[in-house]
Amino acid sequence: MKRQLTLLVLLAAVALAVPVAAHHGRGQTFDMKKQVTLKGTVSQIRWQNPHVLIFIDVPDAAGKVVTWGFENSNVSTLARQGYNRNTLTLGQPVTAIVNPAANGEPLGIIVKVILADGREIMSRERGNPVD
Amino acid sequence: MRTRSTMAVVMAVVAATSAAVAAQAQFDPRDLSGIWTIRGHRSISANVPPMTPEGEARLNANRPTRGRLLGEPLRGEHPGFVRAVPVPSQGNDPAHKCNPNGFPRLLLDPEPVEFIQTSGRLLQVFQWERTLRELWMDGRRVPSGENLANLGPAWYGHTAGAWEGNTLVMNTVGLDDRAWIDIFGFPKSTDTRIEERYTRTGPDTIELRMTLYDAKLYTQPWVSDVKTFTRVKREDVTFFGWSGLFSGLTEAICAPMNEVDTYNTLFRDRAGKGAGK
Repeated sequence: MKRQLTLLVLLAAVALAVPVAAHHGRGQTFDMKKQVTLKGTVSQIRWQNPHVLIFIDVPDAAGKVVTWGFENSNVSTLARQGYNRNTLTLGQPVTAIVNPAANGEPLGIIVKVILADGREIMSRERGNPVD
Repeated sequence: MRTRSTMAVVMAVVAATSAAVAAQAQFDPRDLSGIWTIRGHRSISANVPPMTPEGEARLNANRPTRGRLLGEPLRGEHPGFVRAVPVPSQGNDPAHKCNPNGFPRLLLDPEPVEFIQTSGRLLQVFQWERTLRELWMDGRRVPSGENLANLGPAWYGHTAGAWEGNTLVMNTVGLDDRAWIDIFGFPKSTDTRIEERYTRTGPDTIELRMTLYDAKLYTQPWVSDVKTFTRVKREDVTFFGWSGLFSGLTEAICAPMNEVDTYNTLFRDRAGKGAGK
């Protein structure tokens, strides 16, 4: 009985956990079961609503550069986590892990960014929800 | 010894209870000021009343991107919540082109909202859209008849009301029917009236109950769940120089240059077109 009650409370908590930024349904636009690791340099930062957009230039094995873009939460939610438009700088080497677009475009939704010193920032699980 | 420790426990309980009672008492139930976020169902409620044929037709004309995907099996919920298009570019959500969310959709959004209370008005300043509702409490009544016809509909309607005890009761009429009720695409007509009942239940909580009346599209009033506004933590809305939240609420304007020209073009539609093919 106690376990059932605990389960009920947990389910209720999940049901009530409304994401902060919740404007954009996206259906099957992105493959949320797949993750891509991108190593490159920051080439564009659009610190704007509705979603902060970051672009990085990623060289492939042959040296050809593909510009990938990934979306994050909004300005307000990121600010509350201590991130701002100067958290990343143009030309900075980063590793980004993203859920990629289902249609193969070089676009994605942030999972997390890993800096050169190994620090993980803007993690979707920790304060950078994208909805 | 045992008696002494029992006494200590009793005193501690009494002190804690007194502190809790004092905390509860430290708010004016007729002061709704503050920055809040809403929790509750993202529509009026899950219990959608039966719709009229016109209501059904209007619902089916709206193609949302939110809710579960169209065609998925129902799990006991109203079919209106299982109508999402597979990719956003196939939808027709007016907000995706920066048209106003309108009322009540914006109120149902979990982004912060500031309540600013004056003697004759309650102002709701919404972070999303950075827009304003004026809830009049200066004795006027909501417009009706010829007055309402002359005013015409508005994205956020015309709102007025008064305190009933410690509950602020507001009514809104004259809503523009091009805005959806919610993210799921439920429709409203220009005949819609929505009652809101705000009751402050603690220093950091306000409860809201709503009822939507729209006999043109719904055969019965649509009664809401109990929605709760929770006060946003002070450190999240106070400027310390590091976070960039200079004004508490950020400037989350839906600017077509950002939303339509950039986000839709680069992400929402570009990533969506052809997805799944």
